[in-house]
Parts: sequence; C-alpha cells; structure tokens
Amino acid sequence: MMPDPVEIAFVIAKIGMVLFVILTLAAYLVYAERRLLAWIQDRKGPNRVGPQGLLQPLADLVKLLTKEDVCPPAGDRWLFFLAPAMAAIPAIMTFAIVPFGAPLRLAGRDLPLQVADLNVGLLLFMALSSIAVYGVALGGWASNSKYALLGSLRGLAQLISYELSMGLSLVPAVMLARSFRLSDIVAAQAGCWFILYQPLAFVVFLVSILAECKRIPFDLPEAEGELVAGFHTEYSGMRFGLFFVGEYINIIVLGGLAATFFLGGWHGPVLPGILWFWGKALAFAFLFIWIRGTLPRLRYDQLMHFGWKVLTPLALVNILATAWWLFLTGGA
Amino acid sequence: MRECIFIKVLMPKLIIDKREVDAPEGVSVLEAAQSVGIVIPHFCWHPALGKAGACRVCAVKMLDGPVKGIQMSCMLPVQEGMVVSTTDPDAVAMRRQVIEWLMINHPHDCPVCDEGGECQLQDFTIAGGHGIRRFDGPKRTHVNQYLGPNIEHEMNRCIQCYRCVRFYQEHAGGSDFGVMGSAGRVYFGRFEHGPLESPFSGNLVDICPTGVFTDRTARFRARYWDYDMAPSVCPGCSVGCNITPVARYRELLKIVARRNDRVNGWFICDRGRFAPKEANDPLRPRTPLVDGREASWEEAEDALLRRLNEIVELYGEGSVLVVGSSRLPFEGASLLPLLSGVLSSGAPGWFATRRETRAAHAAVSLMTRENGASMADVMNAGCIAIYESDLREEGPMLLLAVRQAWRRGAPVLLVGEHSPLEQTRAVGIEAVQLHYMEEAPLAIFDRPVVIAGTKHGDPEVMAMLDRTGARIAALFPGPNGFGAALLSAEQGGGPVGAALASGRVKGLVAVEADIPAELLEGIPVVAALDWRATSAVQAAAIVLPTTAPVESDGTYVNFEGRAQKFCRVIRPGLPVKGLDPAGHPPRVHEAAPPGGDLRPAWRVISDLVRLAGGTPPEEPLSGRWARLAGLDPEGEGMVLGGRVLPNDA
Amino acid sequence: MRVVDDITAILTGLWTTLKHILRRPVTVQYPEEKRTPSPRYRARIILTRDPDGGERCVACYLCSAACPVDCISMQAEEVEGGRRRAAWFRINFSRCIFCGLCAEACPTTAIQMTPDYEICKRDVMDLVFEKEDLLVAHGGKDARYNFYRHAGIGVTQPRGEGAEERPPVDVRGLLP
Repeated sequence: MMPDPVEIAFVIAKIGMVLFVILTLAAYLVYAERRLLAWIQDRKGPNRVGPQGLLQPLADLVKLLTKEDVCPPAGDRWLFFLAPAMAAIPAIMTFAIVPFGAPLRLAGRDLPLQVADLNVGLLLFMALSSIAVYGVALGGWASNSKYALLGSLRGLAQLISYELSMGLSLVPAVMLARSFRLSDIVAAQAGCWFILYQPLAFVVFLVSILAECKRIPFDLPEAEGELVAGFHTEYSGMRFGLFFVGEYINIIVLGGLAATFFLGGWHGPVLPGILWFWGKALAFAFLFIWIRGTLPRLRYDQLMHFGWKVLTPLALVNILATAWWLFLTGGA
Repeated sequence: MRECIFIKVLMPKLIIDKREVDAPEGVSVLEAAQSVGIVIPHFCWHPALGKAGACRVCAVKMLDGPVKGIQMSCMLPVQEGMVVSTTDPDAVAMRRQVIEWLMINHPHDCPVCDEGGECQLQDFTIAGGHGIRRFDGPKRTHVNQYLGPNIEHEMNRCIQCYRCVRFYQEHAGGSDFGVMGSAGRVYFGRFEHGPLESPFSGNLVDICPTGVFTDRTARFRARYWDYDMAPSVCPGCSVGCNITPVARYRELLKIVARRNDRVNGWFICDRGRFAPKEANDPLRPRTPLVDGREASWEEAEDALLRRLNEIVELYGEGSVLVVGSSRLPFEGASLLPLLSGVLSSGAPGWFATRRETRAAHAAVSLMTRENGASMADVMNAGCIAIYESDLREEGPMLLLAVRQAWRRGAPVLLVGEHSPLEQTRAVGIEAVQLHYMEEAPLAIFDRPVVIAGTKHGDPEVMAMLDRTGARIAALFPGPNGFGAALLSAEQGGGPVGAALASGRVKGLVAVEADIPAELLEGIPVVAALDWRATSAVQAAAIVLPTTAPVESDGTYVNFEGRAQKFCRVIRPGLPVKGLDPAGHPPRVHEAAPPGGDLRPAWRVISDLVRLAGGTPPEEPLSGRWARLAGLDPEGEGMVLGGRVLPNDA
Repeated sequence: MRVVDDITAILTGLWTTLKHILRRPVTVQYPEEKRTPSPRYRARIILTRDPDGGERCVACYLCSAACPVDCISMQAEEVEGGRRRAAWFRINFSRCIFCGLCAEACPTTAIQMTPDYEICKRDVMDLVFEKEDLLVAHGGKDARYNFYRHAGIGVTQPRGEGAEERPPVDVRGLLP
C-alpha cells in the first residue's frame, strides 16, 4: 500500500509543529520556573534580558552552546556523549502519541491532531519512559565520578519504583476506556472526565509523574545539597542542556498525558480543544513548579517507602475496586 | 664543690601556691616562685640588680609560717615553713590597687610610645585587670632631658621603680645620672641636659619596665609584634655578647641585649648597641662586580680564578695571598685554608702586624678550657690585672664585669702603658697602675684573672701569662678573633701588612678583611669578598658580595674560645625604605628582593674551591668542626680550648 | 488522622507559597536603585584629621596588628615637634574584609569606616590604597577629639598644659 503523499506531508508538518512547540515551551518553562520561584521567594527573577527578561531562554541557549564541552578523562567517552540524548529523545518521542486537539477537518480529510494514533499508545508511553531511565543510568556511570554514580543509582531505583505505580494507576483508565489507544481514552472522557471516576488513580499518577520527572520533592538523583548535581555533575555546555531541557520536555509531556488520561484531554466547553489541551498541560507544569517552590526533598528511605508501601498497594487496590465496580455495574 | 654541699644543707622548704619549693638560703620568695615557674608581677626587682621594694607590685599573702599577711615577695628571704599564696584575693586586690596607683600619673600615650607592645607596665596592667581609669584628677608631669643622640627621655611615664638609677650608679658605676626630688616629684635624670656618659647607658632602655628610656635610633619605627628577630651575637668586639638584632622591612633598626649568664649576663655595651647599622648601608656591595661592571656570580667567580691562576703562572707559587679576618664567621674562616690551597698560596693571613699575629698566636695557644676566663670568672675574680688593654675599645662588657668584681672587693691593676686609667673611671672604680706584668701580685689573691689585649700586648709576656696561675682572658681584634687566631696559629699564618709591603704578593683575595688602602696599591689583582664597602672592595677588580652577619647564620668564637651560633634576622636585600622615591614601598612584589643576591662568605669560598678543582665539604662546619654545627643559638655556646682542640675534636 | 494532617500541611504550604507569588518582591535593582546604608555601615576605610587639621593617625600599628587578613601596612616616622605619623600607610582593599577591627583598635579614632560600599576597580592594583587616597579633610564620626590633648605628653601643647595635667614638677624645689 502506497502511503498517501498528502498524508505524509501532514504528518511531517505535525511533527515539525510539535517539535517547535515543545522545544519552545520547554525553554520558556525554564524562564517561567525561574520567575515563579523568584516570586514565591519574594524576588524578581530574571528580568534583564529583553522586556521582562523574556529573551532569557535565548541567552541561556547561547551560553550553553558556547560553553566548553568537557568529558572527564576517566569517563567512558561514548556513553558519556550518548546519555544526554537518551534522556531527551524518549521525552520528545512520547509526545507522538498525545492527542493535543480535536481532529480537524481539512481539505475533506479527517486530520487528527496527534502525530501517531497507535492502538498500543499507552504501552509505547510506558516503554519510552523506561528507556529514559537509561539517560540517568548511563550519564552517572559514564562520568566515573562518585557523585554522578550515586545520583544515577538513586535515579535508577526511583524511576523503576515509580514506573510501577504509574503504570498501575493507568490501568483503571484503560479499563474504563477499554482501549490502549489514547484517542479512544480521550473520546471516552467526552462526557465525564476520568478524574471524577478515578480520583485516587489520578493522585497516584500525579505523584508518580513527579517522581518520574525527578522533580522536587523527588529530586534525589540530582540533590544539590548532597550530590553536587547528581547524575549530571560532570556535564557541561549543551550536553548538560540536553539533560536540562529533557526534564522540562518531560514536564510538558507528562502534564499532557495526565490531562489526556484524567482531565479529558482536549475536551472542554466553549474554547477550542487545542487550547483546552495546552491549558491543562501547562496547569500541570505550573503545579510542578509550585510544588517545587513549596516542598522539601524526601529522604531516600521515605521515597522508597512511599513508592512501594503506599502508592503501589493503593494503585492495586484501586484496580480491584474499579474491576469490582465495573463488574457490578455490568460495564464489563 | 664544697660550696654546693654547703648550700644543700641550708635549703629551706616552703610552699608556694600549694607547691613545695626548695630554695637556697638567701633568695627571695619571688625568686623561689620563679624557679618553679610561678610568675609574680614585679617592676623594681631585676635578677641582675636585686631588690628595692619600691614598686610594691609583687605583693603575696603569707598564709602560715614565720611571717604573716601581705608581704613584698622580692624583699622577703625564704624561710623554712613559709606558706605563700600568690592568688589569694587579698594579694590580688593589693596588686591591682598598686597598678592603679602607678597608672594614676602614667600618660595615655601608648600609641606614640616606642615601648608599647614590649612594656612590662602594659602587661601587668592588663594582667592585673585594671582597664579603666577611675581617678579623674590631673596627672603630674615632668620636663624631659636631652640624654644624647641614642636615648629618648620621657619622664611622665615613670613609675619610680628605681631600676635605672640602681643600674646606672651601682651596676655600671656612672655618676652623671641619678634621682632627684622627693615624694610625688621624684625625678630620674641628669643635673642638666647632655649625653649620658656611661658606656653602658643603653641598658636603661632594656631595663626600664616602661617607656621612660627608649632607643632613639629606632624611634617610631616598628612594634614588637612586627619585629624580625633572632638570637645573634654582637660583632662589635671579641667578647661575643648575646644580642637580639631587631629589623623590619629588611632594615636593621636596633640591637637589644639577650641574656646569657656565661657571657654578658643581662646587659650589653653602648658600643655594640648603638653601633652604626652597616647592614643597612646603601653603598654596600650587592652584586658581583668585575672591573666595576656588574656580572653574574659565575662570571665573577670565573674571572677571579682565571686572573689569580694567571698570576700564579706568571710569578710562581706564593704570589697570591688569601686574607681572612677576625670578623669573618668561623664557617668561612675554617674553609679559607682550602681556598689558599687551590690558589697555591701559603697559609692565609689573618692579622695585620707581626706583633699582633704573634700575640694572638701566643694567647690562643696558652688558653685551655681550664684556664680561660669567662665573663662570669671575671665577675667572681679576687683580683684583676688588665694587661695592655683599653677595655672601652677591646671589650667594654669586660669592664662592667671588672666593676662587679671590684664591688665585691677585688683590686684592679692596670698593667702597661696602653691600659689607661680613664677606662676604670668610666665605670667608677679605683685601680692601681703598674708598668710590668711581673709587678702584679696576683699570687696572693684567690681567683686572679688577667685580661690581656692582643692589640698592644707584648707576645713574649703574653706567652708566659699562664705561669701567673691566673685565669686568662685575651682580647682579639674581632668577634671571631679566637677562631682566626686558632687557625692562624695552626697553619703558621703570617702578618698581612708585612706580606703586602714586601711586594711579593701580586694577587690578593681579601675575605671580609679590612686592609688599609695604601697597602693595596701596586697589587695587580685584588679580589674582595665582603659585605662592607671597605677599601679592599673599592680597590678590587673582582667583588663578590657576601651577607652581613644579620643576614645569614654563622658562628663566632669569642675571646675565651666560646663558639656561639648566630641566626639570620633579615632576608638579604635592600631595605624597603628608600626603594621608592615617593616614599611608598614597591607596589609590585618580586620573588627575590632587589639587591638580595648575596651569599654567605663560606658558600662563596666553597664554590671557588669547587670551581678550582678542589673538594670543599658539603657543610661549612664538618670534619673536626662538626660539633659546632649543632650549637643551640640560645644556649651557652661551646668552649674550645686553644691548645687542646686540634687533637681533641 | 495522620494522613489528613499531612495533606493539610502540604496544602497549607502550597497556599503560603501561592500568597507569596502575589507579594511585592524585596529585591533592590542595584545599579538603578541604591540603598542608603546607615552611618555606622562598615565599608571603605578613611584616615581622618583632628579638629586642628593634623593627621590623627600616629602609626601605632594597632590596626595592622588587629587586622585579621593583614591588609594594612605602614611605616611610622617622627616629624618636627615630636609628632608621630605614618610615613606611608597602605590598605589593600582587595584583601580587606571590612570587619571593622582596625577602627575598633584605633586609639586616636583616625581610622574609620564609611558607608561608601562601591569599591570596584578594573585593575586589582587600583584597590591598593595609599595614605594619600585614604586621608580625608574632616574628622569623621568623632570630629572634636584630638588624641594629643589627652595623651599626657607635650606634642601639640607645652608639657603640663594638656587635658587632665598638672604643670611640670619643680624637681629642685625643697618643699615637701
């Protein structure tokens, strides 16, 4: 079957647009985080570069690009260069499956605002988030530095632990939507968002993605206070930038996924779907920043305790309860 | 030995601050306390001057025993069964009040007082806890006197401890300084303005517990905590008094006496203390010179050896003379024979005239460890004969020792025409003048001592001095005179003057030697190693600058054969003062100070010997002199006997 | 219940930080806005003069002794009339930590701290201030104090005529 050239053009256009939007948003999320944290701390934040400091991301980019790229002499050179890409690329790729707006009708075609509407979209997301673990692990290993290694060890344990509860918390959504396809999950929420059916699953998912993003209060892999900068201690220049920007892309992507799974995706009254989707995604980003400005870092044993003894059982109980409920209501 | 046992029998036991102390009969409670490390504040008491009971600050409380209550510890001889407390509240309160009384009239001028920082009154005021003046009445003031160019007088600061007058009149025998007035108007000074006459007046600076007498030569220059200091030995004469040179910013500021009971006791003479600070001289040689042109060390050393070797080839062996001196530290002196060896010259010359050379040889060879007289021996002598010497010139501190012996009843005999009566008058003692040594009835006295000067002494008489049965103190022309005489006598060194005058010497190496300019005329190659701008340095074609005594470690052997180590005080280099015409010190710092490329004489000699193919020792004092290498600069030194040392060590 | 308490605590924290987002920042935009420090602020060091216009500094070395970073050096000298002063006086402001111990140690109130905190230079050597750079024409904080009037020795006035002094004693008087 020959692919339709118009289809291909559309897909390429969507990929380009998504890349542009995601990267720009990530850059400005850095700016937004700095401003918001400053306000929380009664400061002003970056306000020197451009009006209100709006060109700060550009300046940061120039700085990162012009900095020296240092590889520790005792480090594993190839793994060291590979790790930042391993951290950033899965985060961007995940966005391929996110439906970020109501399907458009253009030139007589139905155009879903989604790069790839896979029937196993949710599984792809799980797979990609597992691959992202490698960025942390390799970065810490290849640096051949004690801080980096400690950071990456923590990161591995943390990401694997919380991936479990994240995956389990999504099971009820799949059960309700009866599909792994994200567009189906969104469509299933046309009437009522899953957050109303599944508040517990939503909370477990929210906490899990905070941990997946390695954000405060779960930033133990970086932990400035004890590990200098954790797994990316030895990185400089744009390689550090890739780790950095990967984290912010992750925030947007996971925020978008949270909106997709529990807040009805692009569904919403009055405004067009695309605005609803981005509004919801950015609300999550704001929440992340807000939490960072509020909560202290957990201790490592608290982190493990919370993941394995609280979140995972809760998610499991929630699955059973959902199944029971679906069985009773005859939904199955 | 008998005396020791006698003292042991009478050792009263007393208790000071709950510690049992054995003290010899006759010492004060203050000394007994000091002997076990308990410090009692004191102003008027001084170990060399004894007690006066004038300041009342050494109060202690006698808790039990023959005397009770608050007592002055310096005035109270120890007795069996005394129980003393220095920390009793009554005693502490008494001392604090005494300090407060003393401070009632003391000006608040510590910031502009040179004693500030090294002031006993300051220390005890702070230690006694008197911080704020409570009495707000007016202070008594005095008019100061001009006491000469060396000593500054500031009578307002006086606390009437009487140390100055006790030293000046009793210890040093001066008569032009004393105490006047009464009650609150007591005044320490002269009848009228004028320089202090005593040759030991500088000790007033050291002895005054506060700032009444300060060293005018270093007025307003530095503070105690900034001083560069090190134990050193006075280079002024062959007595070898222990001193502490004080320097700051690479400039020698002043000389302070350093205690050594075997040599100078607590004091030094004005001649050593106020000697011109030649180390600061801007005209000192500071770079190696070849024909008046600045050269590197290697160039200059090469030139020296090349030219002298040419002389040797041209005129044969013995045409080159190496000259040392009595001021060359022993390190360099002991290597000098090696240098004359590689230059195929005979023994180095050390002394100027034939008579002086023979007198020095005679003196050094008749002195042993047993019959040499130290300063302490002079002080305890039963009779003293001064043979052909003006001690004011040749060893002023011996004069002070002679006075102490005279105070204990020893007659003083001045023998020969070069022993003027004025010298004994300067320390206020009476002496008998004799013409010949044979006339001195030394044998009828206990512990007789002969002090002989090699400058004017007759060698024949000198050689027979040991037959008098007296201890002998022979004075040499410089701080290392004994060392020079020892080496000279060993190798048969001849007189320098005669050698140069004979015309046979065509090449000369003057190592820290003072040679009259007229003797240098007509000598084709003159090389000088020196730190002073001597006539030899001026006449020399090749000048190798050496370090001054304050700029390097070294050893001097003094008149009794006592080797004493001195330490480096200043890093060699031009004084900071005068480097910049605007008066500031340099703003940019270099690794090495300007004019600092100086080397100790022994090192230059050693390098020359090596360059000439010889094998100098690694360390300056090695082989038979190795025992001198480890001398403690703050110890008593080590006595080398002139006759016994070569075989013995 | 503990879980409820914990969640309440987290929400209280979030509410507190949310309120701070809307609060006015305390930041001072330095080169455009400047604060006026209090007169006792410890910044650039000066050498003041006494009410008669003479240099107060007697170069007693107490400030250099008190200085914990050894940034003060000087050389004292005597000038005509017995007055003591600094021949040169140098403060290395690149080393100074503005602790104020020098001003505290100064017995003549010569060395004082000022609120002028803007001491930046392109060349570090320009931060080495000499006496000429430090000396000012006024008396600083204690303008009326003149050390020599109270010192108890005669430098600015004949002996015995300073504050709290009696006229000089007549040593030769015989009266008790």
